[in-house]
Order: sequence, then structure tokens, then C-alpha cells
Amino acid sequence: MIESAVMSADELIEFAEGLARIAGTGGGPKALAAHLAALLEAAVLVEDAEWRHVALTGAGGRAVPPSCRDAVAGAPKDERPVRIETPGSGPSGVAVRIRGGDAPMGWLSVFPASAPADGRVGALRLTAAAIGVELSRDAGGGKNRRKSFWDRLIARAYDDPIEAKDDASARGIALASHYVGVAIEAEGLEESVATVKMGDLRRIALETLRSGSGDIAVLERGGGFVFLCPAPLEVDAANVRTAATLIPRAAAKTHFGAKIVGGIGRAAEAVAAHRTVDEARESMFIARRLFGGSRVIPYDDLGVYPLLLRGGATSAELGTFSDRILAPLRAYDEKHQTELVRTLRLYFEVGQNVKTAAAELSVHRHTVFYRLRQIAEISGHDLDSAHDQLTLRTAMAIDALNPHER
Amino acid sequence: MHSILTNGKPPNKREILRLVKERDVRYIRMAFVDILGISKNVMIPATELERAFAGKVTFDGGSIDGFVRGEEADMMLLPDLSTFAVYPWTAGGHQEARLICDIATPDGEPFEGCPRTTLQRAIDDASDVLSGVTSGFEVEFYLFELGPDGAPTTSSADCGSYFDINESDRGENVRMEIVSALEAMGLAVASAHHEHGAGQHEIDIKETGPLGAADALVTIRTVAKHVAARHGLHATFMPKPSEALAGSGAHVYFTLPKGAAESASQSDDELAEDTLFAIGGLLEHAPAFTAICNPTVNSYKRLVAAWDAPIYTVWSRRSANSLVRVPSSENGGSRIEMRSADGACNPYLAMAVLLASLAHGVRTHALPGDPLTGSTYDLNERERERRRIRTLPKSLRQALVELEKDLVVRGALGDHIYHAFRDAKFAEYESYRRAVHPWERTAYLRIY
Repeated sequence: MIESAVMSADELIEFAEGLARIAGTGGGPKALAAHLAALLEAAVLVEDAEWRHVALTGAGGRAVPPSCRDAVAGAPKDERPVRIETPGSGPSGVAVRIRGGDAPMGWLSVFPASAPADGRVGALRLTAAAIGVELSRDAGGGKNRRKSFWDRLIARAYDDPIEAKDDASARGIALASHYVGVAIEAEGLEESVATVKMGDLRRIALETLRSGSGDIAVLERGGGFVFLCPAPLEVDAANVRTAATLIPRAAAKTHFGAKIVGGIGRAAEAVAAHRTVDEARESMFIARRLFGGSRVIPYDDLGVYPLLLRGGATSAELGTFSDRILAPLRAYDEKHQTELVRTLRLYFEVGQNVKTAAAELSVHRHTVFYRLRQIAEISGHDLDSAHDQLTLRTAMAIDALNPHER
Repeated sequence: MHSILTNGKPPNKREILRLVKERDVRYIRMAFVDILGISKNVMIPATELERAFAGKVTFDGGSIDGFVRGEEADMMLLPDLSTFAVYPWTAGGHQEARLICDIATPDGEPFEGCPRTTLQRAIDDASDVLSGVTSGFEVEFYLFELGPDGAPTTSSADCGSYFDINESDRGENVRMEIVSALEAMGLAVASAHHEHGAGQHEIDIKETGPLGAADALVTIRTVAKHVAARHGLHATFMPKPSEALAGSGAHVYFTLPKGAAESASQSDDELAEDTLFAIGGLLEHAPAFTAICNPTVNSYKRLVAAWDAPIYTVWSRRSANSLVRVPSSENGGSRIEMRSADGACNPYLAMAVLLASLAHGVRTHALPGDPLTGSTYDLNERERERRRIRTLPKSLRQALVELEKDLVVRGALGDHIYHAFRDAKFAEYESYRRAVHPWERTAYLRIY
């Protein structure tokens, strides 16, 4: 139990010597955490920068929060301990940062049975420093340091773009303002060749994606890869999309021999890279379910399917979806005083009968055909495609149900 | 462009001699262009053909623009037999034919200042990635009336517009005669029609190899001027004869053969990856090749936001005013239409720099961004920045500065042509800059 008394210098030295012995004999973060838990008679939780548990010791059956993530969100960047107040009767504790050099490596949290006392914070900081050394050593050279940055980024470890940029810079990474995630998997690989084929897939995808952008991060996820491609401008995102859709063709040229399926997320700010990765993986999932053959599909082309997949979209999400689909048509109507949205709505309402739609609109049917071609071009949706029709019809339905100020 | 007299096959020496005899050809025009794209020729009696075949016809290179090199004054003309054509008219009652020639140095080496040789080199250089590429031109021109003094005017009795048929339009008949003459010479015309401006017409040739396409444009310019003159009209390929009229362009198009991998996995509306990369190459090098494709100070009066002239490095599937337009796929390949060039260009050099740009795009996997929908004129600065769209040069001077910076485009020209072209065009711009134009007098004479 943490006592209110301040540790004496001798006690602190003795504790530090204990840490040194553990580290010197190959004891890792878990052993270091256990040493602290024994001193404080408290539960000790060690989390790395991606909020993965490195160690949990001394809990002894007591309930311990699964993470200090929420409690330390927005905490000052200095070394001061952060108090963890759990609502209700849950345990309270204190957390300190773990650093490896200047780079943040995680958090050390302590949950004693009673309120923590500041007098033992010195022991916490010494333990955190020792664990920081261990975690840095584990992270290894530059390659691992860079990889762990991308893992952290995807794990939403950064709230602040400047913090992310600084950390990236410390690891030799020039962080772009925006990224596009591309998820790729090969299907039906025989186990005997899987390792070699995965290497081939990685190389093919990287070579193809390089035509669209600069430094690309590669992360292994599930049975495939996620590529984070820098896209500072709209044109870069477009080029990443185009390049990613070319991956199956590039693979076919090399006689890759397995079906490639994938998805492409929308461009997202670097600190929100998890979003584009999630969208890419979601697109890949939908592509696998809905479309045959080797295809890599952009999230933007999936229309209503991501909403259906999630099941239970909020009103705001539905509105965003509808706006995204109809916005180009509305903008065109506004600029050119045309009736594309009205034409589309009527066209659907009358069961896609051009003659009836023309009568309703009091125009010649050739005018309806012309407008439908315009709608297809401007919205980027093919009115002859069942998938695209579903998207447009859903967007119209949401819009009709939730008219909002425009 | 192979003679219809030999069933479309390239004629050999014996066949040419036979045709000359059969058609009673008295004179042969040994044709070539200078660095500025101006047609030149050395006429020889038909009796000298054997000498011409042997490359023994020479001319004084020192008197041709851009060829000046004291020690290489006597240049040799090497005829390309596949270009043999009998003109469908007579001069002074005598039948004429022509052979388009490459230029060689007195020791028989290809002359690095020869535009046609430069194009052939560009074709060879690009063959690793553009093998089998076909190309063609859609060229616009005006047929204007002659003034009382016989000098060309910018007026036309014709008041037609796009695709009009007007029985009283002399231009219609002249254009038909031009097309007929071109076909008689073995040039495959795809279509011809009235263009936007009064007196403005367009002739489109069928796709062929890049060298044949460049030869065809030279032929069209020669034949159009000749036929128009016979009808008391003047054919001009000047890019912008009047600020009140639509400019005349010379759209260049290319079709890349579709590879097996693409055929298997793409729909009709999807573009083959090499086509995408080629478009990327064109957009990347457009500011630099503009000097070659739009080589006069007048060219830049056409490249303004009007009459669907391109002004930005933009591509689209349908937009009429984009720089590069790629309509839906047809016949197993996608046609890339480059729309900024004009009829004043040297077609050999224009084709050479465009091929180099296409090839560079394919080699470097240059992606072009998404195609634009709608008019490019609507793009504001912010949208252009987001899409990394550049503005095409607005003057010949700006274009020359862009050319200077682009080693790919300069490389396609070679040092000799680059420096000769650059010097000639800077001089042309400087002369234009110093001239006081009627507009300035109208605008300033009274108020200052």
C-alpha cells in the first residue's frame, strides 16, 4: 500500500538498485513492473504507445481499468504524474509517461487499494525510466522505430498533428499532411507458397503504388497488407486510387497466380490515418463479398454498402452520405440553373420510364436522355449499374426523409 | 501515306520509275521542311530520279533557317520512297510528283538538324514502351478571300458554322477538292467538315504511324494552299487570324495498343495503364512542349479561355476544352487526343516531343489525376492547386522558358534543333515585342 510518507533517499536508492539488478539480469518490463508492484502493494499496468498491454501485475483479482488511455488524454506533455479518477467505486490511480529518449513509448499506471500518495512518485518515475530503456531496446533500429510510429498512428496515439509530426521526424519520417490507405490481400494461396507469394504481393503493390506517391508505409494486417500512401493534394489521392486499382493488373502481368482483393480509403489527415485504413479494410471486405474477380475498390465507389455493412448509421452519417452523393448534382444545378436532381428523382419515381418522366417534366424525352447522361457524368454513377442505382436511390430517399437547409 | 498507285504498298525504285513514265511525270519535287516547319523543296527533272535515289541531290543548307553551319553547307536529300505521290494537278502543263526527303550531311550521316530524322529518332527511342502506337492530326484552317491587290484578307463570304452545308459557300467546294486531291495522293482522310468560324474548315486524317501522320500534315498544308489559290482563295493555318474568329488548332491523337493483361481485366470504359501513364506524361511536359506545338507569337492568342481552346494541363473524357481528351475506348485501344497544338507547328518536331512525353510518362508511371468533368474554364485557382493543374504558357517567351527547363522535351529535339529553334523563336518574340501594334494605337494614341 502507498504510504503517505515520502521515501527516504536510501529507500529510493535501494529501489533503484533493485531495478538495475532486474534489468542487468535480463528482466524485462514485466519484471520491472512487478518490482514496483511489490514496493507499492498495488496493481501496475504498463501500456506501450499503441495502448497494447506490456505488463499487468499485482492486481491480485482486483478490478483494474483496461487502459489509462482516456484518463491521460489531453494530459500535459511534461513528466508530471496524471491522476486517474475512475467514476463510481472503481479504483483510482496515477500514471506517468514512459519515454525512450525523447520519443513517447507508453504509460505506467499504478492502482493502489487506497488513494495514491505523491511521496512514492519518485519510484514510479524510476520504474518508468527503466521500462522506457527496455522498450526502446525492443523497438530496435530505425526500421522498427519507423514501423512502431505507423502502428501508433493507426492506433490513434496522436491527438495533436504537431506531436505526430515531431515524433515522425524523430524517427526519420517526413509525415505528409494527408494519407490514403490501401488494403490488399491475396486469396486462395497454398500454405507452401504463401510466404513467398506474400513477399511478391508486397513488392508488386509497392511498385504500383509508387507511381502515385512518395514514401509509403507498409503494415501487415490480417492476411495481407495495409499501405499508407501520402496524398497531400487531391490529385495525389486520385493517383493513389488509380494506382491501387492497377495492382491486380500488375500482378496478372507477373503471373502472380492468385486472386487479389483490396480496398482504398478516402484521403484523411495524418492524425486520422486510422480512418482511411478502416475504410480501406471495409472496402476490401465489401469487395470480397459483392464483386467477383481480382479487384481493388475505392471506398468512394461503394456507395451505400459501407452504411449497410455497419448497420445502424446515425442520422448525421446518413445525411453526410446523401450529401456526398448528391452534392455534385446540386452544385451543377445551382450554377447552371438546371434540374438534374429533380430529373433524377422523377426518373426513379416513375420506374425509370423516360417517356413518363419527360411528360412529368414537360420536356422532350431526348432531353431526359441528355440529362441522364449528364447525371451519370457529373455524379460518377452509372445509371445502368444496379449498384450505382442503389446508391443514388438511397441517397435520394435519405434526402427526402431528412431535408436540410441548403 | 503510301501511294494508291501501288495499292497502298510502299513503292520501290522500279515502281516509281514505272509510274513516272506511265503518268508522264516531268518534274519531281524533293520536299523537306526547315526547323520552323516551313515546306521547302528542290525540283529535279524526272530524268534525274536515279541520281536522287542515290542521295546525290544536294542543296545549300546555309540558306535554310536553322540549318546554318558553314562547314556543312551542302546537304544531301535522301528520299523516302514510301512518300512518292503524283500531284493531282499540272504546273505549266507539266505533271509533277513529290518525294519527302530526310537530310544528310555531305558524308551521308543523318543531319541532326533535320526535323524528319529527329522524329524518326524519337520513334526509335520510344519503341521500348510505345511500340505499335498510331497517330494522326485533326487540322483546322481558314479559307479567306483575296483582296483586290491579291493579298489574303481575313474575310470570308461564307457564314457557316459547325458541320453546316451551304450550297453558296465556295469554301465547301474547295474543301471537297482539297480532300479529293489528298486522297488522290494516297493520304487517308477520315473526315472533313465546316468548323466553328465563318470560312473555317477541318480535315481529319486516319491514324497511321507518327512519321506518316507528320508527313500528312505537311501534305495537307501544301495541298490546301495550292487548291485554294486555284479558286482565288487563301488557305491559312495561322493559329488566330482574327480576334473575332475561333482559332485554328491541329489536334494530335495517339492510340496505344492494348496489352493482353489489360484486355483481360478491364471494361470498355477503363483505360489501360500505359494509356493513363502516357496521359500523365503529356500533362507533365505540356508547358515545355507548348513552344514546339505552338511556335508563333500568334499561337498564344488562340490559347485563351474561349472557343474551347485549352489553357490548363487538364485531361477529361468529354470536356471540349481540356488539353487532353480521351473519349471512350474503341477498337481495343484508347485514343488520346492532345488539343493544344496548332497548324503552324513543325509537325515532325511536335510529334517528336509528344512521343517523348508519352514515353517518359509510361516509363516513369506518371499518373494524371482524375479526369475533369465539365468546363476547365470554371476551375478556380484553389481547385487548380488541389489538382496540381498548371496553366499553359501565355506567350511564346514563357513557352521558351518552360522548354529550356525540360530536359526530356529538349532531349527529343537534340541540341542542334533545340538551340536553332530557341534562337529563332527568341528573335521572333523580340521582333514582336518591339513592334507597335494597331491595338496599342487604338487604345493609347488619343488618350495619352
